[in-house]
Amino acid sequence: MAATPATDTTGTGLMEGVTDHINREAVESLAADEPQWLRDRRLEAWSLYERTPMPTTRLEEWRYTNLSRKLKLDRLSLLPWEERSYSPESAPRRLKDAMDQDRDASGHLIELDGTVASVDLGEEFAAKGVVLTSLRKAVHSHPELLEELLATEALPAGLGKFQALNAALWTDGVLLYVPKGVRLERPIRVSRWSSEPGRAVFSRTLIVAEGASQVSFVDECLSEDFEEQMLASTAVEVFARDGAQVQFVSLQRMGTGTFHLSQQRTLAGRDSTLDTLNVGLGGTTARVDLNARLQGPGANSDMLGLYFGDGDQHFDFNTSQDHVAPNAKSDLLYKGALDGRAQSVFRGVIKVHRGAQQTDAYQTNRNLLLSDRARADSLPNLEIEADDVRCSHGATVGQLDQNHLFYLMSRGIPRELAERLVVMGFLGEVLSRLPLGGVVEKITGIIDEKLHG
Amino acid sequence: MSDSPILSIKDLHAKVADEDIDILHGVNLEIGRGELHAIMGPNGSGKSTLAKILAGHPGYETTSGEVLYEGEDLLELEVDERAQKGVFLAFQYPVEVPGVSIANFLRTALQARLGEGEEVDLFDFQDELLAKMEILDMDPSFAERSVNDGFSGGEKKRNEILQMAVLKPKLALMDETDSGLDIDALQVVAKGVKRLQEEDPDMSVLIITHYQRVLQYIEPDHVHVMIGGQLVRSGGAEVAADLEAQGYEQFKTPATG
Ligand SMILES: Nc1ncnc2c1ncn2[C@@H]1O[C@H](COP(=O)(O)OP(=O)(O)OP(=O)(O)O)[C@@H](O)[C@H]1O
Ligand SMILES: [Mg+2]
Repeated sequence: MAATPATDTTGTGLMEGVTDHINREAVESLAADEPQWLRDRRLEAWSLYERTPMPTTRLEEWRYTNLSRKLKLDRLSLLPWEERSYSPESAPRRLKDAMDQDRDASGHLIELDGTVASVDLGEEFAAKGVVLTSLRKAVHSHPELLEELLATEALPAGLGKFQALNAALWTDGVLLYVPKGVRLERPIRVSRWSSEPGRAVFSRTLIVAEGASQVSFVDECLSEDFEEQMLASTAVEVFARDGAQVQFVSLQRMGTGTFHLSQQRTLAGRDSTLDTLNVGLGGTTARVDLNARLQGPGANSDMLGLYFGDGDQHFDFNTSQDHVAPNAKSDLLYKGALDGRAQSVFRGVIKVHRGAQQTDAYQTNRNLLLSDRARADSLPNLEIEADDVRCSHGATVGQLDQNHLFYLMSRGIPRELAERLVVMGFLGEVLSRLPLGGVVEKITGIIDEKLHG
Repeated sequence: MSDSPILSIKDLHAKVADEDIDILHGVNLEIGRGELHAIMGPNGSGKSTLAKILAGHPGYETTSGEVLYEGEDLLELEVDERAQKGVFLAFQYPVEVPGVSIANFLRTALQARLGEGEEVDLFDFQDELLAKMEILDMDPSFAERSVNDGFSGGEKKRNEILQMAVLKPKLALMDETDSGLDIDALQVVAKGVKRLQEEDPDMSVLIITHYQRVLQYIEPDHVHVMIGGQLVRSGGAEVAADLEAQGYEQFKTPATG
């Protein structure tokens, strides 16, 4: 998947998506006080953005998500970076409720409207060399690390229009660094909040887990409900070095009116475990691009996804299991339930490169439609260049039919509860595979609310 | 009250919802408390349709006639209300519910019967469930398996009776529970049903079956023959024996009216 949109050579796509607010001046002003390498990187990314045509539904990867209808870039303005602080007293209800449900964490970072407002890392971990900090601050505190890994190896601007846009315009984000052999038992939590309609927010996350370290990272994003559109763009780069164990969880709980765009690349080193869980519950439109690269022999990635849509929500998951090294394993399971007029797209490719012998790669997408007007499109795909591999893929779209409900109700279970049982039973398979303290309860609670709202 | 029938069906006509497919053409049936009735009849004669209509399946519409359950208009009640009032249908084709364990499923069903603020006692429930599983010769590990998910045909049928045993209905409709069971399983299931009747002598049962065999274990008070959406003959246990000997040919002259 990753390397789609060729830069424009005909000249026709020039400057698409350049607006009164989203333009070179904005990039220059962001970069004004930044070190040379970063300024260059932003401006180069911007040039790529200008030269790359806006994806249309003619591209396979965007076939079911019509950007010209769903994303109104010209109506969005940027949110300037400003110093922020978090206080529980003045925190928005939704954000506070979400954080109250979280159990213990090894560290916690709060981002408000694209600016990191609070960082809290257990002293014992800081003493061991763990770094959890604002990405903006890390430009000064960890310049070598960022220069080497930010938007280079994992998500370079050249991957596509929006990768370029984020690389040019990010205002803040998260750096998590876990030194060799350090193991964090409890997760690192990130809570993000967006409150301003009509804005575009660009944020990045860089996670580096050194050899034989262990960490899990739970990233929850929330927002107000908006009448006007709001764009939240996030780019996530995860490095699991040899033998590291990393879990990355994204909990997308944006309000209505938001367009959530999450681009993720995970690079799994030799004998590492790099698991991801993408949960899509909120937003009006949510697109996830996930490329999991099995880069070292013996690497292992469980890729889980769970979504529940209602109203006119639109989810688009675009995944790639990118096997470069031999003896690696990836196992993808995405399951979603759709009610109302909600729509989901799952497009997944297993790509086994020449030389990636003894690959085990599995891919499953299952959908459950709860209403006649809901829709799910599933497009699994295999591209295999090695001969000694075990791969399988499968996709289903099922309907919660009246026989199903009748069976449960005939035992005295009321309709709402019956639907809940079926949906939770269906989605539970995903949650049971990544047992993380508090996350399962939280997701179950949100789905309950959606089912009964 | 106790000598009034638990179920009384009068001239029931029914069709497939939203389609012009008539299935029941005037069914009359009265079941007294504690009675055991059997309905036999050829494939496609409407036996399952009758059972599903009694349980409230939304895929059928009654066009005329009436059904009284404990004196109340049964057809007015929602599916779950009927169940909560004691109607139970053991399905001919039980439905799979992936990801929902038998224990969770039954606990939810029992909880739904309780009023606001009341809770199923988990220990009592667990004891009860295991006891019933033992009677039905089911391995305790089944309690944690997803309802019917990957069950063999016979296991599904046994699971229906397990649910019946835990939910303790007043009126049990058993649609071909005996089909697909081996001899041993049939005896276990029959024993289970008998035991339920001993525990609650007022429990009424309507068994739909193709085979006389099951009726030798669970002896019916009345046997009815359904053909073309009507009960064309009713009698005692001898009707079943008669069918076994002569088949349905004797009824093939279409009923007039
Ligand atoms: N939803 C439906 N749509 C169309 N036809 C239906 C529907 N349900 C039942 N029928 C038809 O009604 C008739 C009676 O079906 P039913 O399942 O009640 O038969 P049965 O007596 O239980 O048969 P069997 O002994 O094979 O189980 C059959 O011809 C069947 O095809
Ligand atoms: Mg039948």
